[in-house]
Amino acid sequence: MEAPAAAASPSVTFYDFLDRMRNPASLDLVRSIKSFIVSFSFYTANPENDGKRVQEFFLTMEAAIGEHPLWAGATDEEIDSALEGLEKYVMTKLFSRTFASVPEDSKIDREISEKIGLLQTFLKPEHLDIPAVLRNEASWLLAEKELQKINSFKAPREKLSCIMSCCRVINNLLLNASMSENHVLAGLDDFLPVLIYVTIKASSPWIFLHHLFDHISDLDVVHFQMKKQAEAMFVMERIRFVLLMANPPQLHSNLKFIQLYRRQAKLVSEAAYYFTNLVSAKTFVVDLSAKSLSMDEIKFEESMQAARLTNIATQIEASPTLQGQTIPIPPTAMHDKNKDISDLQMPSIGIGGSNYPYMDAEAGELTVGDVERLLGLYKDVVTKYRSLCTAVRHLSVSKTEPPVPHSEGTSFLPKQPEGINTKIDIQRED
Amino acid sequence: MGCSSSLPDRTSGRLAGPNIENGGAPDPKNLRVKLVLLGDSGVGKSCIVLRFVRGQFDPTSKVTVGASFLSQTIALQDSTTVKFEIWDTAGQERYAALAPLYYRGAAVAVVVYDITSPDSFTKAQYWVKELQKHGNPDIVMALVGNKADLQEKREVPVQDGIDYAEKNGMFFIETSAKTADNINQLFEEIAKRLPRPPSS
Ligand SMILES: Nc1nc2c(ncn2[C@@H]2O[C@H](COP(=O)(O)OP(=O)(O)OP(=O)(O)O)[C@@H](O)[C@H]2O)c(=O)[nH]1
Ligand SMILES: [Mg+2]
Repeated sequence: MEAPAAAASPSVTFYDFLDRMRNPASLDLVRSIKSFIVSFSFYTANPENDGKRVQEFFLTMEAAIGEHPLWAGATDEEIDSALEGLEKYVMTKLFSRTFASVPEDSKIDREISEKIGLLQTFLKPEHLDIPAVLRNEASWLLAEKELQKINSFKAPREKLSCIMSCCRVINNLLLNASMSENHVLAGLDDFLPVLIYVTIKASSPWIFLHHLFDHISDLDVVHFQMKKQAEAMFVMERIRFVLLMANPPQLHSNLKFIQLYRRQAKLVSEAAYYFTNLVSAKTFVVDLSAKSLSMDEIKFEESMQAARLTNIATQIEASPTLQGQTIPIPPTAMHDKNKDISDLQMPSIGIGGSNYPYMDAEAGELTVGDVERLLGLYKDVVTKYRSLCTAVRHLSVSKTEPPVPHSEGTSFLPKQPEGINTKIDIQRED
Repeated sequence: MGCSSSLPDRTSGRLAGPNIENGGAPDPKNLRVKLVLLGDSGVGKSCIVLRFVRGQFDPTSKVTVGASFLSQTIALQDSTTVKFEIWDTAGQERYAALAPLYYRGAAVAVVVYDITSPDSFTKAQYWVKELQKHGNPDIVMALVGNKADLQEKREVPVQDGIDYAEKNGMFFIETSAKTADNINQLFEEIAKRLPRPPSS
């Protein structure tokens, strides 16, 4: 695969963009950006329309920046970085308004997540005829981690680059196999099954519980013994991160968000190809039936049924404790206990409502006074997590293998956390 | 199994430098074209691409780029260049329903069959119909009978390919990824048939 086009790292580019926007000469641009962002609060969410409006705005701004005195004599690359900065700024600001903004999308996310949760319990590489030379746990784990980072970024470009990194890991695996094992490369017929398998492993709600646990252990070490504000800030950021990571994976919403909001001129060529492959992996999972797999039809149905029963058992064991702590159970789950399992596995954590008022907070907006409240929430999350763990452990009676044996407990902070942690703003008084 | 190697017969027509990504308006002198490959599993799609892009038939030799997305720029006589961005598709039956995700927006579709396999020729006709129904209406389609080196095992007569292609307004060629026969011609002919954006 080709090296990424931009030479400068995304964060450098972005701070350069913010700097230019603080220059008084850019007042007109800042005004347009701000009024565009504000205009979004006047309409209800309509993803296709919103996407069109944002893309049109990017084009308008591209023209404006191209003619702007601040960019006089700028190279194409410099203008391109400004546009990347613009995309990141606008989409970070509009994130909660545009990401999974309609109930249908959240519903699809939940359904996919649920189906993956079931597949997880029995799907093996041979069911997708992945040749033995391509079964490399270490590479797969790396690819999964790259893909999971998608939820720690808000900018479409950064989300897309998580997909690219994941695909790059898989491609390297294929190339190594072709060189060292004399495996004849079969193009997409090798790549796609591995990507599907990695996507399934990376998208399980269980994995997010593991990461939640990783972070909670980190927090235990820190132990809230901070006196200085810097430390308080650090802990608050970690809590925010834990809460974000605890969100169930939103495969559908992430793909839709990239499709709608990544600058159109950038979702082309290789990026478009690997993006399409993840869409393709998602579609494969959604439509997956016994016929899609090298697996006996009856065996498939039995395994799916066993997985469903396992999940109901989790729910029954977990519910009394959870309800004892007045966790709001989504009404859909109340109506159909057998169906909306993911809601119960992740009670209300994924809901940015009043119970978790910091879900949409930026680290910079928090004050030391918030620590007490955050500590309360943190304890709440830990308690819930422990109840879930207990409930899950009780499941060992079931004959199915434990879902996703992720033994290694390494921490999972993204390398460039500015996507979620850094408060960004164009600070100026106008 | 696999592709046994033979030497590339031609390296001309390649451009040394990478094509600058052109996100804006299409540049009539430097076209960028999405080309999708369709066809039954095993007909030689991947081998055709490797042969075209790297001049090699042996895909096990050292490679540095992804195996399923490859691009290659060719220069035409009129000093225009065409950068083919080649999208491989998965040939296995379980992935057939995903094909529309790949051919959506493609400017060129290359439908490949194996001249030793009548089944693959039937499958090629299925893809042609599918593209006529759901593909981009201006799509340039090529029908390719591959493995032309296996004359003694031929089961699909040349004339069948010619007739079917003519009926469906497609360009037809027989190739061999193994001997490199007609591989470059295939892409050059496609390049000539591309609709040109009006020069400004
Ligand atoms: N004799 C001969 N064999 C070929 C030729 N092209 C490909 N092959 C062989 O056909 C087999 C399949 O080739 P691939 O390129 O992997 O086929 P594909 O169409 O990409 O198949 P999928 O990836 O499964 O869809 C390989 O073993 C190649 O060695 C050719 O022109 N002549
Ligand atoms: Mg292939």
